[in-house]
Amino acid sequence: MSTLLTYVSIQDGRIKRSSLDLLSRCSEEAEKNGHRSAALLIDESASGYASELSTFGLSKIYIVEGPRFKNRLNGPLLKAFSTVLKQVKPAVLSLDSTEESKDVLGALSASTGAPVLPDLSQFELTENGVKGKRPVMASKILSLVEAVGKPVIFSVRSKSHVQAPARTPSRADVEKIDVSVTADDMRASLREIRKAKGSGMDLSEAETIVAAGRGVRDEKGLNLIYELAGVLQAGIGASRALTESGVFDSSLQIGQTGKVVSPQLYIAVGISGAIQHVAGMTNSRIIVAINSDPSAPIFDIADYGIVGDLYKVLPPFIEEIRSFKRNTFI
Amino acid sequence: MKIYVCIKQVPDIDAPIRIRDGRLLLDRDRMVMNAYDASALEAALVLTEETEGDVEAVLIGPGKAGETIRKALAMGADSGTHIVADTTGYDSAAYANILSAFFTGKTYNYIACGKQAQDTDSGLTGGMVARLLNIPYVSNAVRVEGGHDGITVTRQGDTGRELIDLPVPGLFTCSNDMNEPRIPGLKGIMQSKRKPVHVLSLDDLGIDKSSIKTHTRITGYEQIPGRKPGRTFEGEPGEIARDVAALLNEETGIS
Repeated sequence: MSTLLTYVSIQDGRIKRSSLDLLSRCSEEAEKNGHRSAALLIDESASGYASELSTFGLSKIYIVEGPRFKNRLNGPLLKAFSTVLKQVKPAVLSLDSTEESKDVLGALSASTGAPVLPDLSQFELTENGVKGKRPVMASKILSLVEAVGKPVIFSVRSKSHVQAPARTPSRADVEKIDVSVTADDMRASLREIRKAKGSGMDLSEAETIVAAGRGVRDEKGLNLIYELAGVLQAGIGASRALTESGVFDSSLQIGQTGKVVSPQLYIAVGISGAIQHVAGMTNSRIIVAINSDPSAPIFDIADYGIVGDLYKVLPPFIEEIRSFKRNTFI
Repeated sequence: MKIYVCIKQVPDIDAPIRIRDGRLLLDRDRMVMNAYDASALEAALVLTEETEGDVEAVLIGPGKAGETIRKALAMGADSGTHIVADTTGYDSAAYANILSAFFTGKTYNYIACGKQAQDTDSGLTGGMVARLLNIPYVSNAVRVEGGHDGITVTRQGDTGRELIDLPVPGLFTCSNDMNEPRIPGLKGIMQSKRKPVHVLSLDDLGIDKSSIKTHTRITGYEQIPGRKPGRTFEGEPGEIARDVAALLNEETGIS
């Protein structure tokens, strides 16, 4: 019996939902193959989150905590992961694909010698490793990959899995693992964190996203975006054009470089649909595009393409959606 | 200030890509410098302009990939190293092991890389090299500033920007959001022809070709299932906006 270890990421004081989706999937996989499912929490005060994992059928929850782990610097994180791998000896370590995990995957693989498969959209366990599929070439193609080893480290794109229904709460053993962080692990040091201003919603978890592009030229256009997002309770994203010009924070950029999202509904406003942008949103369930240029490539992937001036289309669009909302409350 | 920039020649992702028998058919005439590496090079050039330094581009690849080193020299790199190797089947670990063999024993302030290659989008090699060389690193840089003794790297994290002081020697990987890489001018292209390119074989680095370990394997490629064709609406803005809103309401129950 082997252990499938899932890293459960805590960001801004809460557990990321995409981590729980992955944890649920790994618990299923463990059950199917007669393995144990375990979770790893790393945070300044990680123990406080363990009780939130009671419905995932875990055999064990590993905790690494202390002030060194507050800011997720890659030095201490790396030490934590490699210490845990050495001690727990899992068959696999899975992580959800975030900037935090991307920051350590390569170095972790190099320091432990474990093979790593990053950013999978599908995966399954094999006899002695993992195989999976991952989008490459700006998400134009899927590459089929496999790795053999113990452990194999892999990361999974958010929304690749739907969370299974909660299980009956059970008590998993909680085990603290001591990690000695040395000066060597702290050579790169944090000066300051500048939190993003934005809708406050984690885009990788949003069910609906309204994304603005170059066509949104001014304050008036921005207000329409905020209004639409407000009515739909949507997260707000942007194409590179608007993050580069500073209109939106770069943490809101969707695309090959920025966030990869797959919400139920994606509304692209004034976005032409360069392949780098499309790479970040093509797996959305329903795509609506509003653009004045009928030849814009975004229309090739849109389920509903509205050819028109966003300044003229959005006001009645918002009004109509608002009226649907209102009706349901009457 | 000495900065090494790791560059890779990759297929132009704007070019059509076809798959035959599970293998990629790439247009060998449409190979380019990885866009993220171009940003790393631009960042290195700006840093050394301010501190009178030296930028060397390092590339692993077949003979043909030498043209990408020439591009780097034309952009302003002072010299290049071409580690000639048939990289078929290489994964990030293979590249990282060769690069770390090259850097071992060298003196430098920083190594700069793209945060990922635009063909594989793996984003592993930079962190691997840093670890193998046991130097600190920062990934996903969107800004670098500083001088000889240390730089501050602004990293784009999940929920904000982290400003991290990176001492010497260190490694940083760059996002393409950090700058617009310069386009070589005629003068740069002319000068590039006189700049030195050191050509090394794996043997020169003491690496036995058969010992190159790949940790992972690509077993094939698949087309991503295409999206179903959608509907396009043209006409009076108010009318089409209401039509689409109604259809969305039916399909998703947005209300």
